[in-house]
Amino acid sequence: MTYTILGRCARTGRLGIGIATFSITVGRYARSVRSMTGVVISQAFPNENNNQIALRLLDQGFSAKATLEHLKTNDAFYTYRQIGVIDRTGSAVGYTGPAVRGWCGEVVGENYVASGNGLVGQHVVEAIAKGFLAEPDADLEHRLLMGIEAGRDAGGQGTADLHRTERSAALLVHSRDPYPDIDLRVDLHEKAVDELRRVWTEYKQYEGYYRRRGEHPRGAPSQESFMAALQRAQ
Amino acid sequence: MTFSIIARCPKTRRLGLGIATFSIAAGGRCEGIRHGVGICKTQAYINRGNDLLALQMLEQGSSPVAVMKFLEAGDPDHEFRQIAIIDREGNACAHTGSGPRRWAGHHVGDGFVAFGNVLAGPYVIDGIVKGFLANPKDELEFRLLAALEAGRDAGGQVGQEGHLPERSAALYVASEPDHPDIDARVDLHPEAVSELRRVLEEFKLYEVFYRERGHRPDRAMSQGEFVATLPKR
Repeated sequence: MTYTILGRCARTGRLGIGIATFSITVGRYARSVRSMTGVVISQAFPNENNNQIALRLLDQGFSAKATLEHLKTNDAFYTYRQIGVIDRTGSAVGYTGPAVRGWCGEVVGENYVASGNGLVGQHVVEAIAKGFLAEPDADLEHRLLMGIEAGRDAGGQGTADLHRTERSAALLVHSRDPYPDIDLRVDLHEKAVDELRRVWTEYKQYEGYYRRRGEHPRGAPSQESFMAALQRAQ
Repeated sequence: MTFSIIARCPKTRRLGLGIATFSIAAGGRCEGIRHGVGICKTQAYINRGNDLLALQMLEQGSSPVAVMKFLEAGDPDHEFRQIAIIDREGNACAHTGSGPRRWAGHHVGDGFVAFGNVLAGPYVIDGIVKGFLANPKDELEFRLLAALEAGRDAGGQVGQEGHLPERSAALYVASEPDHPDIDARVDLHPEAVSELRRVLEEFKLYEVFYRERGHRPDRAMSQGEFVATLPKR
């Protein structure tokens, strides 16, 4: 049981993933973005090697569709996987195997895949797509988070009788650099999506400061001074 | 303001990194660790390109000392960095420039480096070393966590206005090429090292279940069934 949005920003080419689930430390399983190359996810009964295999195929130039075909050929338990792939052109594909449990499926469009399993219904993935598409000009991390929050608000994981909370969540966005632009995690929390929003809101205030002090250490203010200035501005 | 440890387990050759700091989401800036290659961690004033560049050089066979010289030659602000490097064989070196705020320093041990800046004093590094060496037979992730806990207990970080709490912390252990072995994070919490222990201990309960349900999904129980088998708390 998990729900996920893979997205590519058509304006900037940035690539990212937002994911929330009942399982813990989901970010461990979602280090699945490569700058200017693609974003993928293998979930449900995840094959732990799939994400890196797929990213290497995308790096060689295979399309999202060809990459998914290769993962199928390569995996004896393919029918247990739920997989999403977006390549650098924004071409996107999704697959939900027949052995995946609970309500499961995806909505796929240009530059995005909204998918999930163990969900209360189809309307959850539709809400995720809608949340992602609501503000197409906003930063990708904001759109991914909107997608995940919409999935939560649509009922998220569970059945008619039993709701399953989000215990972990993650937000990962790559731009042009070989390292992530945004890499935020909530590994164990009773309301992980709410907590991810809190972490993101706080992190956004520091993002530029953390970057600048590394690029221009000479004369950089201390973090305590930076925080005091933040407080004065509020 | 950060204290960290990077280490290689001599028995298993697993590579690991533990970090705790006042800054938030520190685990999101730790890409310099790769199975079978080595670890490079730059902190204080971070040159974000350093760690991946260092890994490329380690992969090509350069020694940590040679990698450090190269990083120094390519960076006009090398004096503002604190850098520790270990290769796949456990050779290690470290650099603490004059730029990082006091107290800053490092200890290079046999297969590990303890290092930090804006600390209460050198005894924080001594604590980290002692914590790491206390139970050498433990799994690497628990040795790294014990080191962070000992650093915290020795006084941790002290800035211009006194003690600074750990607001984020992370553990990463690499032993396979395509996915981390341990990857546990706390990004924003008033006691991030204590919270990191809670996350790690919980993850260890699920570790095998999560791995096996991916390897043999045809035999996997549901997570609900699995949770019911866990000890009641």
